[in-house]
Amino acid sequence: MDLVASLFPQENFSLIAVILGMPLLGAFVNGVWGRRLGKDAVRLMTLVAVGASFVASIVAFLALAHVVDSSGHKEIVDKVEIVRHDHAKLYWTAWEWMHTSGGREGAVVPIELKFSIDALSGVMMLVVTGVGFLIHLYATSYMAADKAFWRFFAYLNLFIFSMLVLILGDNLPVLFVGWEGVGLCSYLLIGFWYGHLPNAAAGKKAFIANRIGDFGLIVAMFVLVQYTGALDWSGLNSGAQNLLSTADAQQIHLWPIGGGQFQGFLKFLQPEHPFSITPATAVGLMLFLGCTGKSAQIPLYVWLPDAMAGPTPVSALIHAATMVTAGVYLCCRMSFVFVLSPATMATIACTGAATAFLGATIALVQNDIKKVLAYSTISQLGFMFLGVGVGAFTAGFFHVFTHAFFKACMFLGAGSVIHAMHARIHDDEKAQDIRYMGGLRKYMPLTYWTFFVSVLAIAGAPLTAGFFSKDEILYRAFINHNVNPFAEQIHKRSASFAIWEPPQWLGPALFAVGVLAAIMTAFYMFRLLFLTFWGDFRGWTIGRPSLLAKQEKEEHGDDDHPPAGGSQGAHHEEDLSTPGYAPHESPWQMTVPLIILGTLAACAGFLNAGLFHFTPMNHWLEPVFETATKGALKVKEGAHSLEWPLTGAGVAAFLIGSGLAYNWYVMRGGAPAKALAEAQPALYRLVLDKWRIDELYEKTVLAAVDALGDTAASFDQSVVDGVIARLTALIVAALGTILRAFQNGVVHVYATAMVVGLAAFGWFFVAPHPNAAITEKNGDYVIQAGPGMGYAFRWDADNDGKPDSEVFTANDQVKVSMPAGESKTVTLEVVNAFGLTGKKTITVSRPAAPQKLELGQN
Amino acid sequence: MTGIANYVVLSGVLFAIGGIGFLVRRNVLVALMSIEIMLNAVNLLLVAFNRLHAGELTGQLFAFFIIAAEAAEVAVGLAIVLSLFRIKRTVRSDEADLLKN
Repeated sequence: MDLVASLFPQENFSLIAVILGMPLLGAFVNGVWGRRLGKDAVRLMTLVAVGASFVASIVAFLALAHVVDSSGHKEIVDKVEIVRHDHAKLYWTAWEWMHTSGGREGAVVPIELKFSIDALSGVMMLVVTGVGFLIHLYATSYMAADKAFWRFFAYLNLFIFSMLVLILGDNLPVLFVGWEGVGLCSYLLIGFWYGHLPNAAAGKKAFIANRIGDFGLIVAMFVLVQYTGALDWSGLNSGAQNLLSTADAQQIHLWPIGGGQFQGFLKFLQPEHPFSITPATAVGLMLFLGCTGKSAQIPLYVWLPDAMAGPTPVSALIHAATMVTAGVYLCCRMSFVFVLSPATMATIACTGAATAFLGATIALVQNDIKKVLAYSTISQLGFMFLGVGVGAFTAGFFHVFTHAFFKACMFLGAGSVIHAMHARIHDDEKAQDIRYMGGLRKYMPLTYWTFFVSVLAIAGAPLTAGFFSKDEILYRAFINHNVNPFAEQIHKRSASFAIWEPPQWLGPALFAVGVLAAIMTAFYMFRLLFLTFWGDFRGWTIGRPSLLAKQEKEEHGDDDHPPAGGSQGAHHEEDLSTPGYAPHESPWQMTVPLIILGTLAACAGFLNAGLFHFTPMNHWLEPVFETATKGALKVKEGAHSLEWPLTGAGVAAFLIGSGLAYNWYVMRGGAPAKALAEAQPALYRLVLDKWRIDELYEKTVLAAVDALGDTAASFDQSVVDGVIARLTALIVAALGTILRAFQNGVVHVYATAMVVGLAAFGWFFVAPHPNAAITEKNGDYVIQAGPGMGYAFRWDADNDGKPDSEVFTANDQVKVSMPAGESKTVTLEVVNAFGLTGKKTITVSRPAAPQKLELGQN
Repeated sequence: MTGIANYVVLSGVLFAIGGIGFLVRRNVLVALMSIEIMLNAVNLLLVAFNRLHAGELTGQLFAFFIIAAEAAEVAVGLAIVLSLFRIKRTVRSDEADLLKN
């Protein structure tokens, strides 16, 4: 440890460069030379890159722990001695990237390419590189048969790099680079099999939905730099109070936009009380808009289910464990800004609860194994935001932590199942349909047991990871009450300034929604488990390409149907006569990550077992959220007595959900579910179609954008193309027609033209040019003759028809004066060096003076 | 010593011969020679006027510059004539219509 400390001092912790650089190197090598290197070299490179990054992360984490420990100091709170730690960080500055003069009163704000590791980013870094390594290992086997093996791992390594930039960036712009980087990788990997059109469309959808969120993040950055004069974490932390200015000019005026008043015929728009929000609320909402895009919350969650088009390891790594939690990470990172606005906090909590509920309802009826997991991810992300939104940052982040394990494990398990199913069915869609699975625990016991543990964890079975993290969130949602931490100061400064406070019933309401979502979570997860692994295998009768095709032929007498297996069925021709292989367990590269993640899913909860007052995670993260929790929370009276009853509600949710699933799908073979679907066909279709939110967006948002696009296109076609483009083309064509006559290719014509031109030039110099400029000053006119080579001048200023002097002189100007309203004629004669003369008559007239009006006249 | 006027007249005559030759002759080689005559008419004028300014060499220097430029120009011009001859088997300028149409 001393060696590490001496090699990498706290202020220049260049090990971060290794953590960041290895995945980037891997991405570069695989991306540029991967095709020629071959699969073995690509596999080696990619695993070494992420593995080295993981090892470096562990070393960095230990170094951070060392620094934190040495900063500990004892304090006595409530007569109990406790150890408090500073918010220690390890820094590494690459270089100054740019600076902006957009700070308060034009102050210059430097933006450095700076990275830091603190308690929060340290944990996140370990999760990303650790889970990332396991998923890379898994993917080397899962993707082994893919032609674009090298491209996949180049993207995957690039993703790890971008994610680390996002986590370790010490200011918002650097975070934003990572934020965009993971978005790009997500896009590339969703559309990895871009030959299939829906995959490419899904990638595009994810990218565009994220772009809407990124707009919010950018706006938040602008507002922050304007009000706080900083963009790095510590600067923002110390400047955040400026976001709560009470001065009217500092508020964000929403209606009328930008303040002011509506005048004239628009006066009816002027509200009685102008609507404005504090900058803190504006920043919070804008940041949260960014989070809804990246972390798939209402209203921007629609991209995540479609993102399942990507390879399953991608779904596990990007769309479950790491990238989608970036929004929660941002909320934790900027917690000191969010808590300044209870309205924003309430918005986050409500959105989170609503998303948790909505995601869970959709997951109840989906049949695609990855779709169920995708909606479950949306729902779990909702739980995380619920936790963050009620000010329980540690609880929210802890759910990120545990969710990374059990959801990655489930996705990888699902991948293992799909792998096995696909080997039998050779149909991308049917291989993922749980209606064709069943009984798989006989064939793939390792996958089954790890999946089972993860299902227990996500459903909240007591003592698993999900139990501790989810119950902590629900408990906090019930007891926490957000208030403005600076309410008293604001009140003192300006008594009339309205301070919003959430209603008292909000906490219990959020808790109730959360418990409902938890019941549904337990139900759909056990439904998934039972349908996939229990009972008998239902895949024997389907997916036999030749048989299906034959049946169809017999039934319809139609020769045009392709075999059900599609093109992939063709190269497995030899399987057709036999009953087909049984599903098989996956190779060790796929099962080892499953076992490790399953173990973590079972045990990681004890890192923050609030129920047993054993909370190392909470203690570890405490310094990070110190500013955010100070004064911002009012905990309800008698909270501690509620802890066990509220946990009881969580356990009850697990028991009800899982019990119901067992009753319906194991004891009664799915009959009640079928009956319910038949009894309420309209509702069933609606939920199966995901509440038709996609269709709603298509009808409203997409239609509006399309209409705008059509208008712009028709303007482009009629005005730009029709008038401007054609007119310029016409002018050029006409000029060309004229000039073409001269370009006849006969050299002699050119030579003659040259000679004539030269002669014209010569004549211009030989002939004299009498020119004159007139300047006036108080009725005196000065006539100045233009200069020329060897010119001499002769004037006739008195207009008697004869020159004033016989000889030409160098006198090149003459003065005349006249009364108002009259004019004079002056003749100028010029002689040049060749003795040629030129003559010009100039008439100067003075305008009549305006008549002065006497008073009283008129 | 002859007066400056004689030189100016000689130069003018030479220039006119060169100019007319350039315009009327179709042989590119002759046209090149005509250009040389015109340039040398200018050289002659420069050197003659230089005599009027005792002790100064500007005019003569200019003449040398022009001779150097001429040499370069002739090198390029002859190269063009050569390649024209290779393509068209002629050195007549009215048949050099490769760029036409």
